[in-house]
Amino acid sequence: MLAHSQMLRASADVTSQPLDARAITDPAVDPLLPAGRPLISFVDAVLFRATRLEDTRREVLDAVGESGLVDAAGVIANFEMMNRIADATGMPVGKGTLKRTREWRALLDLDRFRHEGG
Amino acid sequence: MAFDFPAAVDVRSDIGRLFRREWERLARPGTWFGGADRVAIATAARAARTPGAPPVNHELVEAAETVAARPATIRRRWVQSVTREIGFAPYVELVGVVSRLVAIDAFHVAIGAPLEPLPEPERGEPSRIEERAARPGAAWVPMVGGASITQALSLVDAEASAQEDMHGPLYLTYEEMAELDYVRGLSRAQMELVAARTSAINECFY
Repeated sequence: MLAHSQMLRASADVTSQPLDARAITDPAVDPLLPAGRPLISFVDAVLFRATRLEDTRREVLDAVGESGLVDAAGVIANFEMMNRIADATGMPVGKGTLKRTREWRALLDLDRFRHEGG
Repeated sequence: MAFDFPAAVDVRSDIGRLFRREWERLARPGTWFGGADRVAIATAARAARTPGAPPVNHELVEAAETVAARPATIRRRWVQSVTREIGFAPYVELVGVVSRLVAIDAFHVAIGAPLEPLPEPERGEPSRIEERAARPGAAWVPMVGGASITQALSLVDAEASAQEDMHGPLYLTYEEMAELDYVRGLSRAQMELVAARTSAINECFY
């Protein structure tokens, strides 16, 4: 999460898009990014197998179209894979990265997910 | 094996090809497991994510269930205990098989397609090819060239290749990741929002 939350910030900066990254860990926060809210609701519905999955899928389709929906499904799938690989192999986060990201981690309350591996 | 997606969603043809190739790979003898073991591992992983499925007791099955359904609970001591029993390389193969199965199933759930039935295993012996350049390091399993997410499965070359095969079509190739203004169906920032939220729900700090 740390790596891709930073890529999110960098991408929003480079493309001059509005962003409130706290939405990553707090779904009550509006991410401000175009189609951000339906995308977050969709991720939550897929991972929690929520009953409103079909509604969130339709909202994503309306917001970003069919190719956007397929991209969102692909990204969810890829990170379902990569998260398991990182956790199961004990992928460490370097000391330099930890030092550099102290404020960012505090803003998003990321350290609650830290354990001996990461 | 079909991977025919519902007509309501136009799934890119490279994704269908990718999944068919992964199903073929799943069914074939791997590096340390035969096809029957690989499909059994996938079966256990899928069952662990299905509410109401009965618990099964077997070393490989328990490891597959944990990686599939409770990855955020994995700790070094557990990995040490599993690898003492089955070895590092078979464990890495298991992690590869399970993580790709979970990815393919998640894609199907996301687009509203029924899960693809698992393939029939093929007969044959695993290759037992050892990656001699892998070394223990800062991560919990040996890797080639030090601890890095792109090298995480490098102890078993076939699994590392399969991971990389999935990464590009589903998200971005490692080269494309440098393009912060990349746009496909979603903008790069939208892709990263989905990636970060997925990782948050999975409680994956990395």
